[in-house]
Amino acid sequence: MELRLLLPLVILVPLGFAVTHIAQTGALDPGPLSVAIGYVGLMLAAHIALRLTGNQGDQLLLPVVGTIGGVGIVMLNRLPQDLLGTDAFGVRLGMATTQLLWFGVGIGAMLLIAARFRDDGVLRHYKYTWALAGTLLLVVTFLFGREVNGARLWIFVGPLGFQPGEAIKIVLVVFIAGYLAEKRAVLSEASARIGPIKIPPLPYLLPMVAIFVMVMLIVVVSRDLGTALLFFGIFLTMLFVATGRRSYVLLGLILFVAGSFVAYNLFGHVRVRVDNWIDPFVDPSGTGYQTVQALYAFGRGGLFGEGLGQGLPMISGRLPIPALPTDFIFAAVAEELGLIGAVALLALVMVLVFRGLRTAMLARDDFSSMLAVGLTVSLGLQTLIIAAGNVKLVPLTGITFPFVSYGGSSLLACFVVIGLLLAISHRSAVDAALEGRGP
Amino acid sequence: MIATNIRRLSLYLLLAFASVPGALTWWQVLDAQQLATRQDNPQVIAAHRSLPRGSIFDARGQLLASSAVVDGISQRSYTDPAFTHLIGYASLRFGATGVERAWDDLLTGRTDPNPLRELLNDILARQPDPHDLTLTIDRRLQDFAAAQLGSNVGAVVAIDPATGAILAMVSSPTYDATGFSGDPDLAQAAWDTVAGAPSNPFLDRGRQGHYVPGSILKVLTAAAALDAGAITPQTTFPDQPQQEVDGFVVSGFTIREHDLGSVKPALWALSPALQVSSNIFFAHVGLELGANRYLDYARRFGLCSGLRIGSDARGLPVDPSYVSARTDAGCAPFVDDVELASAAFGQARVSVTPMQMALLAATIANDGLVPHPFVVRDLRSHAVNPANGPVATALETYAGGGGSRAVSSQAAAQMRSAMVDAVDGPIGRHYAGAGAVSRYGVSGVLTAGKTGTAERGPGLAPHSWFIGFAPAQQGVVPSIAIAVIVEGGGTGSGHAAPIGGAVMAEWLKLTGAGG
Repeated sequence: MELRLLLPLVILVPLGFAVTHIAQTGALDPGPLSVAIGYVGLMLAAHIALRLTGNQGDQLLLPVVGTIGGVGIVMLNRLPQDLLGTDAFGVRLGMATTQLLWFGVGIGAMLLIAARFRDDGVLRHYKYTWALAGTLLLVVTFLFGREVNGARLWIFVGPLGFQPGEAIKIVLVVFIAGYLAEKRAVLSEASARIGPIKIPPLPYLLPMVAIFVMVMLIVVVSRDLGTALLFFGIFLTMLFVATGRRSYVLLGLILFVAGSFVAYNLFGHVRVRVDNWIDPFVDPSGTGYQTVQALYAFGRGGLFGEGLGQGLPMISGRLPIPALPTDFIFAAVAEELGLIGAVALLALVMVLVFRGLRTAMLARDDFSSMLAVGLTVSLGLQTLIIAAGNVKLVPLTGITFPFVSYGGSSLLACFVVIGLLLAISHRSAVDAALEGRGP
Repeated sequence: MIATNIRRLSLYLLLAFASVPGALTWWQVLDAQQLATRQDNPQVIAAHRSLPRGSIFDARGQLLASSAVVDGISQRSYTDPAFTHLIGYASLRFGATGVERAWDDLLTGRTDPNPLRELLNDILARQPDPHDLTLTIDRRLQDFAAAQLGSNVGAVVAIDPATGAILAMVSSPTYDATGFSGDPDLAQAAWDTVAGAPSNPFLDRGRQGHYVPGSILKVLTAAAALDAGAITPQTTFPDQPQQEVDGFVVSGFTIREHDLGSVKPALWALSPALQVSSNIFFAHVGLELGANRYLDYARRFGLCSGLRIGSDARGLPVDPSYVSARTDAGCAPFVDDVELASAAFGQARVSVTPMQMALLAATIANDGLVPHPFVVRDLRSHAVNPANGPVATALETYAGGGGSRAVSSQAAAQMRSAMVDAVDGPIGRHYAGAGAVSRYGVSGVLTAGKTGTAERGPGLAPHSWFIGFAPAQQGVVPSIAIAVIVEGGGTGSGHAAPIGGAVMAEWLKLTGAGG
């Protein structure tokens, strides 16, 4: 089944490369197609590797991820290649080539995890160790992080840079899953009261407060609103799944809104983001510039889009949206593929999310279930936050569109998530088979 | 339990995800048209980038502005920096000013004078045809006026009083806007050079310069008082000679005369008072007229509100001129008689544009009718090779239209007579004599005029003003009215009057009216 589902992307990605290339140069030469062929080869290789290692996990995940990533690499390849990229082995690699390289690294990590992490004891039993590691990573980022575009979220080791936030995200999910799965077992129905207000019992309240503090620190120290929102969203969602209490989520949201209000009044960078969200046209050539340009891109796209390679991302040799390959890739997709294409992309992410949640429901134990929920929601919420930010539903925050945006750390983290989901679904399938019934 | 919660979660996520297509539908479908027409939309800018643009010619078909598309980018060139302020510039980077801005829709063809063709362009999504403009200005006079101003900071505005056609409109210092279009980096460099130059070259002093008028405003004061019957040309103020010496006490404030030089105070009527430019006399005239009537006449002359060179729908905006404090609604009421009396001789809070002062001179020249100024004479189809001049036939021609009456033709004639004396009278010739066209090789023609020396406060050299018109013989229709200001130029007689006289004389020579 997986192979058949991979078929569309095997055809569509090279076709997308060809179409953008013809649209831009009026001719077709095989050079740029090598990235497309490399990408398709990578996906097929991943499929073969999964079969060879006997993975019985969800066969929808790889084809869906491959198609989402395919949209991304077609878009990235269609932009000027010298915008971003890396110098590796003395060779200057363009944006699409660099991204392809990271796809390779990510898929490698995914395969490794899918094959090796079939026993999740390492994750489950050392959850506090993981939490400590994550906290340390966060502190290191706070102390030694380098600021890029006003947010301090990069750590450089020599020439190699990575975003610890991506790793912390996964560690956070592992810890919360372990913690909630354990606490769920010991206390199912207990709540404390302060007067008429029902508050969560201490075992839920403490991590809520701790994570809230962490999130606010990220806002203040790293100035990374997107990651803060994502972390808190993941935690609240997992708390909801563990307890079924909408009131906890509500309480968390109230806390977040109150915290945001304080942050708005105290910190200039938060205020700028929010003011631009309320009306970017107040300063269309200054602080509101990117948002306004993104809205224009949406407007140009219309229902059916301008066509691949026919959009207007370059104006007199410059990108109108400097963060186009990262924060605004969704706007670029919507411009060239239209409302139809953008909704289709979102639908693919929804499929991924529903498959992830299905994996969570079929998981054999609470920890695996919670882990799958957390990982899935991390992808889903991240997509939601950046897509909603692009269309000005929420203030814009600088996070990536999973599998589509340019960026190595993000891509690697997303594939780690897929690897873990494959491992969890594989285990449920094997267990189900041992019990003599299908998943 | 967890499974149930996950089912509920998936529903919430579905709802949350549905919000994004909702917003997408708004931006991509419902609001797309509104986004697509915003001027800062790069799509609009890119479309403009390669759009052909019509040429601009002077009254004799000489090329002033034209565009050529080089490498897909429309580049605009201007042939004569004397026209920079009037024509303005059309730049993708800095927007447009002047005629380029006000007539942008016709120059680009976005609006077509033929509504049927405009409709067809819309329906067929056709690239519209650009149009060419012809100005009312003869380049020779414009260049002459610019040369007369030379390195002085100031402005010259000349009008045909009978039609309102602008004959010259120069602001100094000027700059070359040719580099403002084309390559964005070079354009920025060209812009920065101008922005960094002294005396703000970007300011179009004729339309946007705000100056104290000094004595030239006495023309308005006297014409208004003559029309209202507050004075006759023979009216005298018995206390005036002594007040020239002691000062004129108005509401406890003493108004003092300017330095009359060797002239001995006497009982003056209008003509001699205008010749020596007696402040005390005109303070009396202003008080005689009264605050309400003064404001009323100021409005009739076109002050207290903005005006346009061209039509209201398509014209160059001119900043409002004021005789009292500025308010959003125009001129504020005079606070007291001191302000009224001071405004009557052009000081206090009076602030005027050279364009408005040229209209003041033109109104006296035009029998008391304020002509409606215009500067674009006609619209033509785009000439393929603009160096060869415009196409033969005009699609549309424009005129200033009737004009509105400020004062009676009798009052205008009386004023004209006094202004002729101010230039040519026994005393006046020592002040405004340099404004007479007879000094610049035009014989047999009288000149009417008035100089002004606008005090700006201690330590600042006064602005030098001259307004006038010629020929000014009674019964002859003058062919040019003018206003000249030289910033910090000192006395009106010293700097502005010679420029005014020379420019008027040049026009009479160019049109064959002078010998």
